[in-house]
Amino acid sequence: MTGAAAMELVCPAGTPASLKAAVASGADAVYLGFRDDTNARNFPGLNFSRAELEENLDYAHGRGCKIFLAVNTFPAAGDPGPWHRAVDDAAALGVDAIIVADIGLADYATRKHPNLRRHLSVQASASNPESIRFYQRSFGVKRVVLPRVLTIPEIAALNREIEVETEVFVFGGLCVMAEGRCSLSSYVTGQSPNTNGVCSPASHVQYTSEGDRLISRLGDFTINAFEEGEPAGYPTLCKGRFCAGGKTSYLFEEPTSLNAIGLLSELREAGVTGLKIEGRQRGKAYIAKVVKSFRDAIDAMERGEVIAPADLSSLTEGGENTTGAYERAWR
Amino acid sequence: MPSLLLAGIAAAPLSPYWLQPGLTIALGVMRRRHPDLFDRLSSLDDPTYLIDPVDLPLVFVLSLNPDHPQLSARRHGDGANTAATIRGPLMALIDLLQGRVDGDALFFSRALLIEGDVGAVVALRNAVESVEVDLLDDLLSVLGPLARPAGQAIRLGNSLLARAARDLAALHTAVLGPALRPPNKMED
Repeated sequence: MTGAAAMELVCPAGTPASLKAAVASGADAVYLGFRDDTNARNFPGLNFSRAELEENLDYAHGRGCKIFLAVNTFPAAGDPGPWHRAVDDAAALGVDAIIVADIGLADYATRKHPNLRRHLSVQASASNPESIRFYQRSFGVKRVVLPRVLTIPEIAALNREIEVETEVFVFGGLCVMAEGRCSLSSYVTGQSPNTNGVCSPASHVQYTSEGDRLISRLGDFTINAFEEGEPAGYPTLCKGRFCAGGKTSYLFEEPTSLNAIGLLSELREAGVTGLKIEGRQRGKAYIAKVVKSFRDAIDAMERGEVIAPADLSSLTEGGENTTGAYERAWR
Repeated sequence: MPSLLLAGIAAAPLSPYWLQPGLTIALGVMRRRHPDLFDRLSSLDDPTYLIDPVDLPLVFVLSLNPDHPQLSARRHGDGANTAATIRGPLMALIDLLQGRVDGDALFFSRALLIEGDVGAVVALRNAVESVEVDLLDDLLSVLGPLARPAGQAIRLGNSLLARAARDLAALHTAVLGPALRPPNKMED
């Protein structure tokens, strides 16, 4: 689908205070999750109770901001109840859309709540026209969050062949290119973002200082050692530094954050509808600064102006930015 | 914020014993004004933290038992039975509490060090992030009707301090600037 409508800025919130920061900073929509396994940021102390969602729905809607509820983990075998309740409560409370990944849950939502708008999560990893058409035809999906594996020309070609909206990540943490299918965390800790909603759970992480070095461990594995003054990254296996072939290096990916603020006009030309900021686990300060920066950049673009992108490197993992697959600079 | 920072620095030489009444009041205010913070930690079993501002000769032990939260100061953390340690500059820790900086960004920059039960630290960070803490407003709230004028006086003091700092910086530049310029610039 291609169109000239203004792009929608879709922003994260892990707490009511973060939601208010996102709304105040110019979010068109905020995505969030319930405080349980049903969403892919199931971190201790994070997320919303039903009462908090109800209260903050009014707050956001009163300010012209939509709320999307992520129910984007895969239900536990034999225990779909919590996921079904999340979808039922989303419909009852009146969220603007749910974000789902599992086909069984998408089917449940389609049958039980046909008027509840459905977005396909990045966790479904739908990246080609046939796959997206399947979700549209079977479950009436209105928008697909694209996996972070496509170049901008590939996104443009995709949008020409499909009839649903596309949403792409423009800022924040990156995963290895196997979204919804990555088992690295599960291999080490028994828990994964796909089923438990948490990658490299904090309960399995240990940090120790050895002199000026910071050592990070996940489960029984030492996954990184940061020298004095070297920026640190998340303690995920995919961003571990390992010895292989006599050389120590980042085997999967470096601790770097996506930043596509310089590619907004290209993404608009490619027919993208939603611009998504990652980081429901991040603080109010991150959300306020990143959302405001993208709001300013989008508004300037819509006015036909060019503004210097804000420096967001102090908020990025490892202090580094990349445009990721959009430009595939490594090729 | 200078007033809070100055208060922290001024308190440093004091015996932890003399700080206890103030810490008890501060924690009581937090509990009264931000109950959601404690609610978010209710799934943890008596989470206790060692808070270590590296630029103060004191550490704090924070127990967030929902029924009996406690905050106490010590000269050092030896022997404290805590689940995790959070270590960083005082100002960074205050900014973190007030949501003015992002905890992950502080960690990436190595300004913040955490040890022990990382799950308990993440839970505390998320609980603190879930509420809007303004330390000055929170602490002044114990003054009741006097909170407003006291707040105005402190903010005026902060403003004067900030202005004095700017004036000193300008004076420093005016006096030392010419001497620090490269020779060719002095000939312009």
